[in-house]
Amino acid sequence: MRYAEWCIAAPTLEADIAAAAMGLDDIGHSRVLYGSLRELGTPDVPDDPGSYANVPYLDRPWTDWTAFVAANGVLDSAFTLMIEALAGGNVEVLRSRLKKMLQEERYHAMHGRSWLRESRAASAVDQARRDAIVWIGPEDGDVDELHGKGILSLGVRELRRRLDEQVSGAPASTPIDWKAWDPVRRRIVAGGIDELTLNMLQGLAEKRYMPAGA
Amino acid sequence: MGFVRVHDEVQEYEVFARKTRLEPLRQVGAVVAPDDELAMAYARATYDEERWVEMMIVPKAAVIQLWAPGEAEA
Repeated sequence: MRYAEWCIAAPTLEADIAAAAMGLDDIGHSRVLYGSLRELGTPDVPDDPGSYANVPYLDRPWTDWTAFVAANGVLDSAFTLMIEALAGGNVEVLRSRLKKMLQEERYHAMHGRSWLRESRAASAVDQARRDAIVWIGPEDGDVDELHGKGILSLGVRELRRRLDEQVSGAPASTPIDWKAWDPVRRRIVAGGIDELTLNMLQGLAEKRYMPAGA
Repeated sequence: MGFVRVHDEVQEYEVFARKTRLEPLRQVGAVVAPDDELAMAYARATYDEERWVEMMIVPKAAVIQLWAPGEAEA
């Protein structure tokens, strides 16, 4: 959804179109992932603000194009690495369904990489990278456990290594304090999306423009 | 109001695609980008509304023109 917010605000018309296309891709990817989870017997979560397990980077709309670029180049890459690990794991539903997602994400990665080269986005990259590392989680945590069972083909160390390889930035300077890590929402800092974002996600913002009685 | 240059240097790429293996590639449009990677991402985002079996981009600078409309055949 944050991509879509930039589909009329990016620096070039081509980037506007790419933002819209990548937003649409990612909506499709969420639908596939939710569908797969349902098939694997995961119960639906209630649709309230507290249940959104997004990274802090997505809590508020981005106010600067460099924030978009860092999200595209770093966070999107981290999510794709996890999808790659699931597609390479031993759960058949995921192995077969996530391939198309990876093909589409290739273009997101190219878009992100090129804009990272073009933009001075160092501080946004640092924040996005930190959120991505926190989202992947601590070593010897749930991700490594799933890797041990073969559900994920990559463990935490390898995921971090590949992310750094793709982002080619210096590793985050301040160490992460994992004590406050929330393993369900996969983040350290409290908070979440604001009401405006929630309304957009739930379609409430559109409903205001519907004719009465519709 | 002046224009703000977004990229220092860009080049134009022609986009070619086809829907079946039997038909020839045809030019479906163009994109402008600072490098090949962004040009690929833009071409795919802009022109993927149809089910192409193949898509490719060519830097316009790589095209060698023999003659243009209105010019006599060499």
